Amino acid sequence: MEFIGKKIRLNKPLTELDLLVLKFIRILEKYVNYVVISGYVSILLGRTRSTEDVDIYIRYLSEDKFLELVKEIYVNDFYCLNTDNPNDMYDYLKEGLAVRFAEKGQIIPNFEVKFAKKIIDTDLFEEALEVETEAGIIKISSLERQIAFKKYYLSSVKDLEDASYVEEIARGYLNQEKIKKYKELIKILMKDDA
Amino acid sequence: MMLNPRKDERMNFVLYWADFVRNNSDLVWGKQQKRLIDSLMQNAKYFPLNAKEYLDLKKEKHKR
Repeated sequence: MEFIGKKIRLNKPLTELDLLVLKFIRILEKYVNYVVISGYVSILLGRTRSTEDVDIYIRYLSEDKFLELVKEIYVNDFYCLNTDNPNDMYDYLKEGLAVRFAEKGQIIPNFEVKFAKKIIDTDLFEEALEVETEAGIIKISSLERQIAFKKYYLSSVKDLEDASYVEEIARGYLNQEKIKKYKELIKILMKDDA
Repeated sequence: MMLNPRKDERMNFVLYWADFVRNNSDLVWGKQQKRLIDSLMQNAKYFPLNAKEYLDLKKEKHKR
């Protein structure tokens, strides 16, 4: 694994999960900018654990464009767990809720897709990293952001393990000031949530 | 503070594995990771809940 600026070059043999993620995001990126966040990021980078969902933030897109996206998702043998009505899916997203997509006939793993709407998400897309794999690029949130959210916001055992794992594999590459900045932003976010 | 030996054991493994990943080629650790993740993907096919049950459990909105 090589960390080169805003890219990570990964030469591992891809897992079935990685290939599924690549299949889904190849559809997604035709319509909208996306960033994969949270647990799958640490798994992509080598962590040995399961996950039932892959969290993806997308930029806001118009309803017409979203309907086209859903059509293509369904043509490619995925479906939405929440509803088969694309207008309802769009309403959920506008409400700030997530919609989940999975391969037809499957419940997990699924793709939990959300609009990036919060103030703290503003730089999510600009700060994203590109992970180059043998089958294509996967855009992930910056590792500093990933660590800060896992350590100071989510904070479950699994999240703390993910944060420590990423801190360890990316030692020497991480910008500690950025982690501090996200930590401060998270404090504000938690006050707003309370 | 109460110590949780299981939690410590898990974290030790996470750090051990991270060290292994840092110090070996992607091909070496990747093969081992692939074996595990692919078998978890096979298990996922037998997930016992349907979409409605799954989303109810997660308390998420749906129209199933």
